[in-house]
Amino acid sequence: MKRQGWVLLLAGVMLLIGLVAGVGAEEGVTATEIHIGQWGPQTGPAAAWGSVARGTDAYFKMINERGGINGRKLIHHMFDDAYNPAKTKAGVKELQEGTGMFAWVSGVGTAPGLAVRDYLMERGVPWVGPSAGSLHWVDPPHKYLFAVYPLYALEARALCRYAVANMGKQKIAIIYQNDDYGKNGLKGAREELARHGIELVAEVPVNVTDSDLKPHVMKLKKSNAEVVLLWTTVRHAVMTVGISKAMRFQTQFMSTSTCSDFPLMMHISKGAWEGVIAATFAELPDSGYPLLQTYKQEAFDQYAAKGERWGLFYYAGIVFAEPLVEAIRRCGDDVTRERLVQELESLKDFKGISGKISYKPFDPNDPSCRQGQSQTFLVQCMAGGKAKQLTDWATID
Amino acid sequence: MIDFIQMLINGIAAGSSYALIGLAMVIIYKTSEVPNFAQGEMALISTYVAYMLLEQHQFPSYLAFPLSLVFAVVLGCILEFTILRRAKEPNVLGMIIITIGIEMILMGLVSWKFGAEQKSMPFPISPYDSVMIGDFFVSTLEVLTLVVALCTMIVLFLFFRYSRLGMAMKATQQNPMAARIMGIRTRRILMATWGISSLVGASAGLLLSPVIMQPYMMWDPMLKGFAAAVMGGMTSLPGAVFGAYLLGIIENLFGGYISIEFKSVVAFAVIVLMLCIRPSGLFARHYVKKV
Repeated sequence: MKRQGWVLLLAGVMLLIGLVAGVGAEEGVTATEIHIGQWGPQTGPAAAWGSVARGTDAYFKMINERGGINGRKLIHHMFDDAYNPAKTKAGVKELQEGTGMFAWVSGVGTAPGLAVRDYLMERGVPWVGPSAGSLHWVDPPHKYLFAVYPLYALEARALCRYAVANMGKQKIAIIYQNDDYGKNGLKGAREELARHGIELVAEVPVNVTDSDLKPHVMKLKKSNAEVVLLWTTVRHAVMTVGISKAMRFQTQFMSTSTCSDFPLMMHISKGAWEGVIAATFAELPDSGYPLLQTYKQEAFDQYAAKGERWGLFYYAGIVFAEPLVEAIRRCGDDVTRERLVQELESLKDFKGISGKISYKPFDPNDPSCRQGQSQTFLVQCMAGGKAKQLTDWATID
Repeated sequence: MIDFIQMLINGIAAGSSYALIGLAMVIIYKTSEVPNFAQGEMALISTYVAYMLLEQHQFPSYLAFPLSLVFAVVLGCILEFTILRRAKEPNVLGMIIITIGIEMILMGLVSWKFGAEQKSMPFPISPYDSVMIGDFFVSTLEVLTLVVALCTMIVLFLFFRYSRLGMAMKATQQNPMAARIMGIRTRRILMATWGISSLVGASAGLLLSPVIMQPYMMWDPMLKGFAAAVMGGMTSLPGAVFGAYLLGIIENLFGGYISIEFKSVVAFAVIVLMLCIRPSGLFARHYVKKV
C-alpha cells in the first residue's frame, strides 16, 4: 500500500513537470527539431503535380545537411492525398493532432487546401505557400496563411493582356476546370478583357473526371477563338490541345503556370504542346540563376529519387517553402508561431527563385497583406520542350 | 446539322472504348453473374506491361502488344484460380467485394511499380492525327478502336454461339450443376472466361493509352463500360455494344445541346433510369428458375 502511494506520487510529479515544461514549448518544435507538414498528390488525377512535395523534401534535406536552421533540423511530414479533399482533411488532422506540426507548407490544389484552411486557421497553425493561386487564401486574408503562388486571376490577366496588346487578338475563349481553380482563371480573364471592352467568346467548363473532351473542343472551335486559355489539369490541357489538332482547329493556346513544365507537357502531348504560351512563377529550369543552380546541385542532385526530373513542378516545392525557411531563420532561437508570423510580415522584396515576395502586417480588409508574390512572366514552348522567354518579370495589378 | 452529325460521330468514337470494357464485363457476368469491378485495373496492368516492354526493354510494338495481351489472359486466369475460386461459399455480394479489392490492389501495384505520373505510350498511331470526311473529322486512333470493337463483338458472338467452349460457358452460367453432370469442367470454364474477359479489357486499355496513361486512366471508362453493359442487360454482347454506342452518343448530344457541365453524370442518370424502367436491360433475356 505504501509502495503504491509512492508510485502515484512519482507519477503525479512527472505529470506536473511535463505540464510545466509544455507551457513554454511551441507545438512541433523541440530543441533540435521543427516539424513541418505537407500534402501532395502522389496518385490520382493530379499526380503530375506530386513532384512539388518531393521538391520540398529535397530542399529540407539540403538545409539539414548544412546543419539545419539555428541548430534545429527540419522534419518533413509529407503524405499523399490523391487530390482528394476528404483525404487531405483526414491526413492533416492525423498529423496535426497526432505528431503536432509547427507549420504547414505548400499543399497542392485549391479544393484540398480549402478542405483544411479553416481547421488550420482556427488552431492558429501557420500555413505558408499553398500550391495553388486561389483567391480563397487571401480574400479575406487570414493571420496565419501566407500565399506565395501568384493568383490565377493575375496570371489570366497577364495572358489576356499579352494576347490583346502584343498579339492583337480579339476573340479569346477559355476552357476551365469547374471548380475554384478554374473559376479564378475565368474571373481574371473576364476582368482583364472588360478593361479592353472585350468579352470572352466561349467559356467551357470541364469536370475533373471527364474523359472525353471532344464536345468541349467543338464548342471552342465553334466560337472561332483566336486564343484559348487553358485552366485545367495537365491531363485535360493536353487532351484539349491534342483533340484541337485532330479537329484541325488552329488557335493560340495559353496556359496557367500549372501547365508550364514544358518538357513534361511535350512528352505527354507527344509534341502537340509546341507553341503554347504559359505564365510562370519561377526561374526557368535551364536558367543560369545562381541560387537555382545551387538548389539543383545540392538538393536535386543529392536527394531526388531515381527517375525524378528537374522541372518547374519539382522546384516549385522549393519556391513555396523559401519564405517559410527564411522566416524561421530570422526567428533565431525563438521559434514560436507568433514570432514566425512577425518575421513573415517583415519580408520585403524577398528574392529566392521566384518573383519578389513581400507581406504586410495583418489587415483584415487588405488581401494584399497575405499575397506574397504578384509577379509573373510569360514563356512559349519551343521544339524539344525548350522555353522562350516572351516578357520580363512584371508585377500585374 | 453539321454539328449534329459530328456529335454523332464523336459519340460513336467514344462509345467504342466503352463497348470493349462493356463486352469484357458481360463475358464474366454471363458465366458467373458477377459484375467485375476489377476489369479496368486488369486492363491497366496489362497496358503498363506493354509500356514496360516498349520503353524499358525496347521490344518492337509488334511483339510488345501481343505479349501484353497474352499477359492479360494469364492474369485473368490466375486471378480466378488464386483468388475467386478460393472464396468460401461466395454469394454475389461477397464476389463483388472481392473484385473491388482486386481493383485496389492492382491499381496500387501499378502506382508503386511505375509511379503515378502521366506516361506517354509509344503507340504506332498518333491519337492526334485525324481523317477528314468532308466537313467531318474522326481521329485515326478512334477508327482503329471502332474496328477492334466491332471485330471483337463479332468474334465473341460467333464464339458463344458456335464453339464448344462458348456453348459450355453459356451452359455453366445457366445451370452450373447440370453443366457439371454433363461433363463440363465448370471451374476451368470460369477460369477461361476470366482470361478471355481480361484479354478484351486489355485491348481497350491499349487503345486508350495513347491519349492518357496514368494509374487512374481506366476508372472512368470502366464505369462507362459498366453503364453500357447495364443498358444492354449485362448478359447480352450485342446489348453491351449497342448500350455503349448509345451512351457515347447521348453524352455527346447532351454535352453539345443541353449542358456540358453535367455531361459526365449522364451515364449514371442513364443507369438509374434504365434500372427503374427496364431492370433487365434493353437486350437481356432472363431465365426463370422454377422452384
